[in-house]
Amino acid sequence: MAAPGGPARTRPRSRQTAVAYLFLTPALLFFALFLLLPLLFALLLAQSRWAGFDLADIEPVGLANFTGLFAHGATFLTPVLTNTFLYALGTVVLATAGAVVVATCIDNLRCQGLWRTLYFLPVVTTVVAVGNVWKYMYEPGGLVNGVLNALGLGSVALLQNPGTALPSVVVVQAWASLGTAILILTAGLKAIPESYYEAAELDGARPFTVFRRITLPLLRPSLVFVSITQFIAGLQSFALIIVMTGDGGPGDATDVAALEMYRQAFTYGDWGGASAAAFALFVLILAITLVQLWLFRRKGSEV
Amino acid sequence: MRRNRGTRADRGAKRCRGGAGGERGPVRRRFPWLSYAVVAVGAAVMVVPFLDLLMSSLKGSGEYGRLPYRFLPEAFDLSNYRAAFQRLDLPLLFRNSTVATAVITGSTLLTSSLAGYALAKLRFPGRELIFRLVLATMMFPPFLFFIPHFLILVHWPLAGGNDLLGSGGAGLTVSLAALVMPFLVSGFGIFLMRQFIVAIPDDILEAARIDGAGEFTLWWRIVVPQTKPVALTLALLTVVNAWNEYIWALLVSTANPRLMTLPVGIQLLQSFLDPDRMVPVMMAGLVLSSVPVLLFFLLLQKHYLRGVMLSGLR
Repeated sequence: MAAPGGPARTRPRSRQTAVAYLFLTPALLFFALFLLLPLLFALLLAQSRWAGFDLADIEPVGLANFTGLFAHGATFLTPVLTNTFLYALGTVVLATAGAVVVATCIDNLRCQGLWRTLYFLPVVTTVVAVGNVWKYMYEPGGLVNGVLNALGLGSVALLQNPGTALPSVVVVQAWASLGTAILILTAGLKAIPESYYEAAELDGARPFTVFRRITLPLLRPSLVFVSITQFIAGLQSFALIIVMTGDGGPGDATDVAALEMYRQAFTYGDWGGASAAAFALFVLILAITLVQLWLFRRKGSEV
Repeated sequence: MRRNRGTRADRGAKRCRGGAGGERGPVRRRFPWLSYAVVAVGAAVMVVPFLDLLMSSLKGSGEYGRLPYRFLPEAFDLSNYRAAFQRLDLPLLFRNSTVATAVITGSTLLTSSLAGYALAKLRFPGRELIFRLVLATMMFPPFLFFIPHFLILVHWPLAGGNDLLGSGGAGLTVSLAALVMPFLVSGFGIFLMRQFIVAIPDDILEAARIDGAGEFTLWWRIVVPQTKPVALTLALLTVVNAWNEYIWALLVSTANPRLMTLPVGIQLLQSFLDPDRMVPVMMAGLVLSSVPVLLFFLLLQKHYLRGVMLSGLR
C-alpha cells in the first residue's frame, strides 16, 4: 500500500485536521454508539443477573454466568459446542472439497462466468428462502425423499431424526457457501503460472497427477484462506438453523452456540447468561483465528 | 493473501467464445467431458432447489406434500400468489425492506467515502490510530451485538415513551430507525473506499487545492467520480446483505410488528396451523421476495462478484 496522504502545503495543518474529523464524525459516532457501547454493555451484562425491563435492576454476580456455562450438567460444552464444531467442520470440508473440484473443472470449460453464476445464486438469496426450500425438500413428501424413494430407499424424516438433522443442515450451509469458495479458488487457479502446466505436459504427466502435484499444492494459500473464513463463518452462523429447525431441535441435535445465546436471551430472558455465552464463543473464535493465522504464516512462507 | 503473478489472470474465458482449446494447456484439455459432467451435475444440484421452490409455489391445494413426490405441479395454479397477497401485508413488507435497504446503502456509501477520503488523503493527528480502529471493528462477529443493540434501542433515552434513564417505553423500536441503525456504517466499507482513494494521484488533489477548492469540493468533484466503480461494488454488497438480513429484523419486529421485512413476514407464515396448505403460499412469497434481488444480481453480477473478491482482501 502506498503511503497515504498527500502533502497539503497550501492549507494550514489545523484546518485539514478539522475537516478530517468532520468527515470522520459520522463513522466515529457510530462506532462509539454501536460498537464500543454495546461491547461494554454486553461485558457488564455477562457479569450480571438481569431480567430485562428496568436498567436499575441489573445485579452484579461476578463470573457466575461464565462458570455456569461450564458447570456440571450444563449443556454448553456438550452438546452445544460440540454441535458448533461439527457444524463448522462439516461445512468447511464439504464446501472446500466441492469447490476445489468444481473450480478446477470450470477452469477447463467454456462459459466459465455463466457456470460460476449458477453456483453463486444461493449466496445472494435470503436465508429464509434457502432454509425453507431445503426444509421442505427434506420432508417425507419432498424432493430429497422423492429421490431416495426412486432409488429404492425408504423415506427418512431427515430434520426430525436426531441422527440426521445436523448433517442435513450442514449440507445446506455448504451448498449455500459453495459459490464464494469457488470464486476465491478460481482467483487462486488463475494465478498459477501456465509454464508449470507446460512443463508437466512435456513430461507426459497425466491429468490427475497434474492436479495432485501442481494444482493442489500451488492452490494451498487460497485453500487455507477459504477454509479459515468458512470455518469461522460456520462457528458463528445460526440463521439457517433457526429457519430450518426453529429451536435447534429435535431435542438439542442442531443447537449451536450462537443459537443458544440467542435463545437464552430472547426466549428465556436470561440476558446475563446469554451475554456470557456470546463472549465465550467470541474468545474461542478469536483463539482459533489466531492459531490458524499463525499456522498460515508459518506454512505460507514455504509456498 | 493471494498472489497474482499476472500469468494467466487475463486468460480465463470471460465470454463464451474461445473456450477450452485456446486458453488451457493440453494436459487439462484431455478430459473435457469429465469436467463438463462434474460441473453440470453440480450445477443441477445448485439450481434444482430453486426450481423446486418455484414448482411448490404453483402446486394446488392438497397437492403439496402428497406422496409420492412429484416435481411438476398438476395444474400451474396461481392461487398461492393470490393467497400470499391476502395473508401477508406485502405492501408493508416491501416498503420496509426497500426503505431499510435504501437507507442502509446510502448511509454506508456516504460515510465510507467521506471517512475513506479523510483516512487516505488528509493529514491529521490520530489518523493511524483511527485507521487501526476501523480495521479492528471488522474483528467482532455480528452475533456479539444482537443482545446489546436490541437493549440499547429499546432503552434509548427519551424515545418512544422512555424517560431520561431509558425506561418505561418502547424506545426506538417504535420507528423504522430501529431496523437500520446497527448497519449505517461499515468498517469494511471505510477500509475498501480508503484503499481505492489512496490510489488517486496526489497531484490532482494538490492542483485543485491550489486553485482554492475546499476539501468537501475535492471530495465531491474528484474523489466521488474517481471511485465510482468501487462505490458501485460496495453498494451492491450492501444492498444484497440488507435485503436478505433476517435475525436483526426478526428481533425488532418481535418488539414492533410494523417493522417486519419480507424475510420476517414470510417466515411468520410457518406459525399458521395447516402447514401443508401454508407451505405453497410461503413458497410463493419467497419467489416474490427473491426475484428482485436475483435480478439485481444477474444484471450487475460482474461488479458484485468483484466485491466478494475484494472482501477477501481484509
